[in-house]
Amino acid sequence: MRSLQDHAAEAHPVSMLHTLHAKENGAKVICVDPRFTRTAAKADKYYRIRSGTDVAFLMGMMHHIFKNGWEDKEYIAARVYGIDKVKEEAAKWTPEEVERVTGMKEAEVRDVAETMAKNKPSTIIWAMGQTQHTNGNAIVRASCIFQLVLGNVGVSGGGTNIYRGHDNVQGATDVGPNPDSLPGYYGLVPGAWAHFAKVWGVDLDWIKKQFPTPAMMEKPGLTVSRWIDAVLEKNELIDQDSNLKAVVFWGHAPNSQSRGKEMIDAIKKLELLVVVDPYPSATAAMAAMSRQDGVYLLPAATQLECSGSATASNRSIQWREKVIEPMFESRTDHMIMYQLAQKFGYADQLLGKQSDGKLRIKLTKGAKGMDEPDVEDILREINRSVWTIGYTGQSPERLQAHMRNMHVFDVKTLRAKGGKDAKTGYVLDGDYFGLPWPCFGTAEIKHPGSPNLYDNSRHVMDGGGNFRANFGVERDGVSLLASDGSHSKGAEITTGYPEFDHVLLKKLGWWDDLTEVEQKAAEGKNWKTDLSGGIQRVAMKHGCHPFGNAKARAVVWNFPDPVPLHREALYSPRPDLIDKYPTHADQKNRWRLPVLFKSVQDANKDAVKSYPLVMTSGRLTEYEGGGDETRSNPWLAELQQEMFVEINPKDANDRGVRNNEYVWVESPTKAKLKVKTLVTERVGAGTVFLPFHFAGWWQGLDLRDKYPEGTAPIVRGEAVNTATTYGYDIVTMMQETKTTLCQVSRA
Amino acid sequence: MARMKFLCDSERCIECNGCVTACKQEHEVPWGVNRRRVVTMNDGVAGAEKSLSVACMHCTDAPCMSVCPVDCFYTTSEGVVLHDKDPCIGCGYCFYACPFGAPQFPQDGAFGMRGKMDKCTFCAGGPEADNSAEEFQKYGRNRLSEGKLPACAEMCSTKALLGGDADEVSNIFRDRVMNRDGKGAGVFGWATAYGKGDAKPSAQEKVTPKVEAKP
Repeated sequence: MRSLQDHAAEAHPVSMLHTLHAKENGAKVICVDPRFTRTAAKADKYYRIRSGTDVAFLMGMMHHIFKNGWEDKEYIAARVYGIDKVKEEAAKWTPEEVERVTGMKEAEVRDVAETMAKNKPSTIIWAMGQTQHTNGNAIVRASCIFQLVLGNVGVSGGGTNIYRGHDNVQGATDVGPNPDSLPGYYGLVPGAWAHFAKVWGVDLDWIKKQFPTPAMMEKPGLTVSRWIDAVLEKNELIDQDSNLKAVVFWGHAPNSQSRGKEMIDAIKKLELLVVVDPYPSATAAMAAMSRQDGVYLLPAATQLECSGSATASNRSIQWREKVIEPMFESRTDHMIMYQLAQKFGYADQLLGKQSDGKLRIKLTKGAKGMDEPDVEDILREINRSVWTIGYTGQSPERLQAHMRNMHVFDVKTLRAKGGKDAKTGYVLDGDYFGLPWPCFGTAEIKHPGSPNLYDNSRHVMDGGGNFRANFGVERDGVSLLASDGSHSKGAEITTGYPEFDHVLLKKLGWWDDLTEVEQKAAEGKNWKTDLSGGIQRVAMKHGCHPFGNAKARAVVWNFPDPVPLHREALYSPRPDLIDKYPTHADQKNRWRLPVLFKSVQDANKDAVKSYPLVMTSGRLTEYEGGGDETRSNPWLAELQQEMFVEINPKDANDRGVRNNEYVWVESPTKAKLKVKTLVTERVGAGTVFLPFHFAGWWQGLDLRDKYPEGTAPIVRGEAVNTATTYGYDIVTMMQETKTTLCQVSRA
Repeated sequence: MARMKFLCDSERCIECNGCVTACKQEHEVPWGVNRRRVVTMNDGVAGAEKSLSVACMHCTDAPCMSVCPVDCFYTTSEGVVLHDKDPCIGCGYCFYACPFGAPQFPQDGAFGMRGKMDKCTFCAGGPEADNSAEEFQKYGRNRLSEGKLPACAEMCSTKALLGGDADEVSNIFRDRVMNRDGKGAGVFGWATAYGKGDAKPSAQEKVTPKVEAKP
């Protein structure tokens, strides 16, 4: 068991219980992090790594694994595609080279590799420490490949555990906040639009008319991380007609985004800025710094003031009840959405009004007697539409029965041992708590949910699985399907097989297993678009997975780096490594915007001379996200009263600063943060750490009077992201917040 | 009759301050008064960092009670040490006596004088009628009378802080200790129990904190 670049003890304290409990049962916990975190304090071993060099470390571990034959050869042969290419890359990462790049000794890297290989199942836990880098996609993929090499994926106790940053992040992701997909990862292809138009009960032509061109409808949109560039970039360089003119911050903290200094310029240039939030947040104060009009605050209710479903990191769904009525003038998010739709004139489409006048999503009375869309009906719409990831079996009725009968679920296996819901008579036996997706088919066929993804030791109707056939059946003459004999337990097809559709069902002679009604709905459809759920039902009846049975891809041919490569950060503390490990070439158009890589790296090759300290950031337990809510809570605010920088005693002494003194932290953007020192060996010499939850100070100035009266948080401080620098992951457009440079001097 | 005790498991405490926050919120404790706090030794020092949540330990032979000049302390039938704020003169003698720094003194009055002593009540209120407005105003919520355990222990994210019937607390902790690597003495360090000397189980090296080498 191992934690890499995750800081559960501070960022996910409740999840840390599971790690500590596992440790008591004999699991070894190793923490690899640039910072000796409170998680590290609870680990069996801690090894320090240079920020942003995780690919080198992971490849270095695989180097030892392949050299010693510790890989799971049988598993790789049956279930993994392209491992030879990974082997070639790992061969380059000799212990000497790993140490040169990561700073980790051979014995340390080998120790982690050997512990992971010889204590299976073993898992990796991570969070933003892997993702918020210019090569974040490569880091997380290297972690996944590492687990595939050890045969740790699809095994109870194995896998990769990526802790989500906020309540219901998983659920939000699943219903499509990403600009390249409709809900359920259906993408933006015409078939996806047609599928959803049908489910929503909205005329497809009407949807098409809402977009100025078909291209705007079908190409990935702008990412939230880069909205400031969408405002500020030269119009001719943007892959859409107009620059961004209006921004809605809906429960989003501006200080969680990098390049705060430039954000002020973008806010100034906008025509409209809307904040939908329980608190005016730092957005309001930053807006007040730069403009007098065109800013609107809409008070939103918290999760305690509304009911609905929420999806956890393990893909299980819980139903929560409203605790109190929305306070003051606040309204629920779905009420605000409905009222906006009314103003824009498409309320009927939002609710799916039928020709008979009936609404697919009915209206119920919310705060102050105003109408809002019914949350159970919203979930039913998800159930009707999201077949891709198995969001179809979790009806409100099943979830609510789970909540009423939590006691019948085993705390270790999550499975109900018997039990009948007194209110509805629903039989709970065999269900996994919260019906973790995929919970395929309709609610009626009672799929129990899948506690672990890709676990082929179980029958598909018992929560089992295998890797999906999402990427075709063949690549350059090599089959992508699972090897013969590799299949989920009880599958009638014992070889690899493609995704199910109407053609495959007919070929297999299983078409007549469908009812007449199902046949009518399934004709011409596949497992993702058949609204009757018949294709899924019949596939599973024969023990097969609706999404096919294929190999996991260690080589992702459609990514810029098919095999994960180490690339130095744009603002690297090691310019001597840039020639060998350069970043990507500048990109002309990704997600509608140019993205700079190499030109920024080259221009800042000497930055380390003036800014010799690596600047990294992260979370504190006391605060959450941008921190406006939690810094306004007196019980929490008392515990962390000032923004600070953790600095090693050597770096502090060399600069003549002592503990708890004000210093200026300056980054290559020339932004300057006035913060207190926390002199500690928690960070190594050459690295400083700043928490990201603070806002309300701007380069030494308190913005208290910029907040609407009475709404300034009790504790205010410099936002670290005022000083963070340019840098985005080439695949995900995730911002770089973990590896940049700075200098610290006495204030 | 149950005898109430707190126990904080240093192998589990992650300094999240959930206990402190729960206490503050439950009893509406003002800024600057800490009925409970998390103490961390060797903060940030690899291999030596340990945290413990500390409040009034509800001693059997409580030093505060022995020294109080107005005799405001009393022990309940469940072994909880409480005090009566009415006779309390805010002298701070109990603060001198307490080995844990439990007694707290809010600022009070026009000249910021020390107010009456305030401390952890094990969520058991004070001498006023259970759950009365007066009791809440002076001592906070009385959870024990409602059949609930102290808010801090219930809130603890890793179940490091255990509070309740001493027998139950011992049973839970014993289970953990027996399962842990090194077992028994390995958990807190052979050297702590039996002094330095022979090298003992391998687990000793790992779990014996560096603090022991310091005075």
